[in-house]
Amino acid sequence: MAIAEVPRFVRADGPDKVTGSGRYAADINLTGQLVAKFRYAGVSHARITKLDTSAASAMPGVFAVLTAADVPDVIYSPVVPDRRLFAKDVVRFEGELVAAVAAVDAATAQAAVDAIVVEYEDLPIVDDLEAAMADGSPLVHQDWESYAVTGDTVQRPNVASFSSIEKGDVDAAMASADHVVTSRYVADGCHALPIEPRAVVAQWEGEKVTIWTSTQVPFGARAGVCETLQMPASKVRVIVPHLGGGFGGKCGFHFEAHVAALAKAARRAVKLVFSRQEEMVAPDRRREGMIVDITSGVKADGTLVARSGWIAIDNGAYTADAAFFPQLAAMHVAGPYAMEAVKIEASLVYTNHQPSGSVRAPTAPQACWALESHTDELAAMVGMDPVEFRRANIVDEGVEGAAGQIYGEIGLRRCLDAAVDASAYSDDLPDDEAVGVAISWWPSFPGPSGAYIKIDSDGSGMIITGAQECGTGSVMTLRMLAAKELGMEPEDFQLVYQDTSAAPYDTGATGSQTLLNNGRAVVEGAREVAAQLRDLAADRLEAAPDDIELASGKAHVSGSPDKAVSIVELAGVAAEGEMLIGKGSGTPPEYPSVSAMCVGDQGLAGWAGPQFACHAVHVRLDRETGVVRVLDVSAAHDSGTIINPVAAHGQVEGGIMMGVGQALTEGTQYGDDAKQRNTGLLEYKLQTAADAPTIHTEFIEIPDPNAGPYGAKGLAEAPNVPTAAAIANGVAKLVGMSVRQLPMTAERVWMTSEGMSS
Amino acid sequence: MTTSYELDVNGVTYPVTADQGKNLLSVIRENVGLTGTKEGCDDCECGACMVLLDGQPLNSCSYLAVQAQGRQVTTIEGVMDGPEMHALQRNLLEAGGVQCGFCTPGMIMSAKALLERDARPELDAARIGLSGNLCRCTGYAKILSAVEATAVELNT
Repeated sequence: MAIAEVPRFVRADGPDKVTGSGRYAADINLTGQLVAKFRYAGVSHARITKLDTSAASAMPGVFAVLTAADVPDVIYSPVVPDRRLFAKDVVRFEGELVAAVAAVDAATAQAAVDAIVVEYEDLPIVDDLEAAMADGSPLVHQDWESYAVTGDTVQRPNVASFSSIEKGDVDAAMASADHVVTSRYVADGCHALPIEPRAVVAQWEGEKVTIWTSTQVPFGARAGVCETLQMPASKVRVIVPHLGGGFGGKCGFHFEAHVAALAKAARRAVKLVFSRQEEMVAPDRRREGMIVDITSGVKADGTLVARSGWIAIDNGAYTADAAFFPQLAAMHVAGPYAMEAVKIEASLVYTNHQPSGSVRAPTAPQACWALESHTDELAAMVGMDPVEFRRANIVDEGVEGAAGQIYGEIGLRRCLDAAVDASAYSDDLPDDEAVGVAISWWPSFPGPSGAYIKIDSDGSGMIITGAQECGTGSVMTLRMLAAKELGMEPEDFQLVYQDTSAAPYDTGATGSQTLLNNGRAVVEGAREVAAQLRDLAADRLEAAPDDIELASGKAHVSGSPDKAVSIVELAGVAAEGEMLIGKGSGTPPEYPSVSAMCVGDQGLAGWAGPQFACHAVHVRLDRETGVVRVLDVSAAHDSGTIINPVAAHGQVEGGIMMGVGQALTEGTQYGDDAKQRNTGLLEYKLQTAADAPTIHTEFIEIPDPNAGPYGAKGLAEAPNVPTAAAIANGVAKLVGMSVRQLPMTAERVWMTSEGMSS
Repeated sequence: MTTSYELDVNGVTYPVTADQGKNLLSVIRENVGLTGTKEGCDDCECGACMVLLDGQPLNSCSYLAVQAQGRQVTTIEGVMDGPEMHALQRNLLEAGGVQCGFCTPGMIMSAKALLERDARPELDAARIGLSGNLCRCTGYAKILSAVEATAVELNT
């Protein structure tokens, strides 16, 4: 029930992108601009005993050299503030910034970076999650108890954030089970890896700075600059040119303040462009490694009665936005299943690795992989078909979930049926092929968001929105919503976006929230303009405003299509007096309450607009080498109403491909020195077109009254969640047991099939 | 060491004065001034910097610009047919094969080269023909559809 009558939707930014005329941050160049380069720690944990920038500062062509001593001493990050712009006294991961340089060209800047003298005294490396949590472990942050954490955040030594979800008496329920199964799964960290490495350009005019940056969250980036450089929002303007992908890796606040501070010190515009290696090492956004222990109790008839879980999540050296990860991971280890009792504890553990942060559905693909692999083990234990086992235990309308939320009409059962039916699950397959099935869920994230709508004197529309387009097409889709309200065409609207000094606030391209939240804002703003048009038309057509309908570029009297005036004409009239201007921020949906007891609550046990999915993945295994090939994916998704089908299919297909990579090839490898060993695309393997499976997608469209416009939920993250899990279940069928490490590389699959621990 | 030479890019001859070790990608972006060609890895792995050199696809990040003297360089800016988009560009948009767009110029150059050497590629040939271009957004499905649609359009 797509709202558009148009069968296809060509993006407004598309022509720029296919012709090469579109400007990305690295394409921005300003007169007199200098080049920024960073000096990184290069070691994973050490005390700085000497830091001397005098030789670098003295080099010809060097305009600025900054260290912690040159910027305000601010400890930042939301919820768990634990880091500074530059290392002070201690470095805690290899990619931590020690100093920054601005110079006339890249070679001079690099020479200056190299001329900075830094001496270290080694500190013990913390890189094992369980050892880090043990009594007496060396601490990553000696001063952790002094950090000004907010909300209900619970901390422990080397644990930045702890959460538990508990409902019912798990011991009693477990004792009532006929079978108890315990599994451990271990996932490596991996990267968001947008193809565009980030770039930042900053230029001052007096006390005001303008920053062009490749961020997913312009307002978040502005807030970070304001906090760390102690500036009011009125003096900072953040502009995002076209953004070359994000996947969470460009969420949050990164290097905008460093470049702004360099530009201020140098009194020149300064430009930073990251190399691929920097992109892999320095940002505090990568997908977190995770250890998951799950124990479940089932009755002989296949009824799930109890689950306990223990989760350790690799936070890395600083917390970025990850304080909510434990609660979200706990929800994903509970999963969309009904059970009497549950107790899951999750810890976000400090290590000397690169910091973790929100990457497309943070914590979910790994936790889902663990849970759904475990679920196939449960089915095998009671002798049930895995799909039948799921049908018997999933949440549904009126059923209480693990955290105590009672669901309205949801499409999980229909997703399971649709994905399995569209796959080769029931077919006789060759000995080296199998279909694995996994189900998943993911929240929608209601939040504040604003937009202005106007119609100019020539009848052309404009949407001025705080929303950020990271490629998904969600900002492009806003035009469809405005067009529908105003009886116009999407192409009638131009977009003004990605400029914090032009538009109202929006959270940004994060949490799949653009259409959910800014969509509501655009609809509300467009309805204001529609009311203005109706008033004007009513006057001219001698009818009541309530009897005016807007359609096909005209305002006409209801039931009398010929009694009409064009919107272009009305716009001309309005331009002479009371202009056509609307504003909207919508009312965010409410988060539902839950009955579970939540320690370290981050507000994510009750989900508004819960999304559901099932993937059935057809895999082939080369038993000689352990190489797994994904042949075909059948996906079914309940993300509520689908507004823009072309973009929605694109999200599912892209999410699946990212999931295939995470399942099979993408994983960060660390040396004993806690440094990443595969920071280039030669060693860190993405999936290519040659690896691409065929993908069949079905949307189970159930409008959700407590969600976005027309009952739309979020979408962009959900398709990334169950793919790795479904692949794992297909591989387990062929190997005879689960591969307990992610990614399931050829080596790990082969060793598992040979009965060796990998 | 700085050197001066001429470079033919999209049929226009540009005078270039640059370090002789400067790669073709940087010369195209900085000296010639065409920024449609992107840098994603500087390692020949992502394909965002793909251009055509005498019609053959080439990762311009790893090729010395001085070596391109006397040869024809085609970038994304040279793909349009006057004011009209090339069928590949139009079909990519219509299929939904463009999301963030950062890989798109390189992808178009590889697809153009593919279709010039194989007018009606089988699906597997198209997959392999584009396997030097990484896309994180699309899962490749809609890009492959666009290549197929273009092959049909240009050969009927």
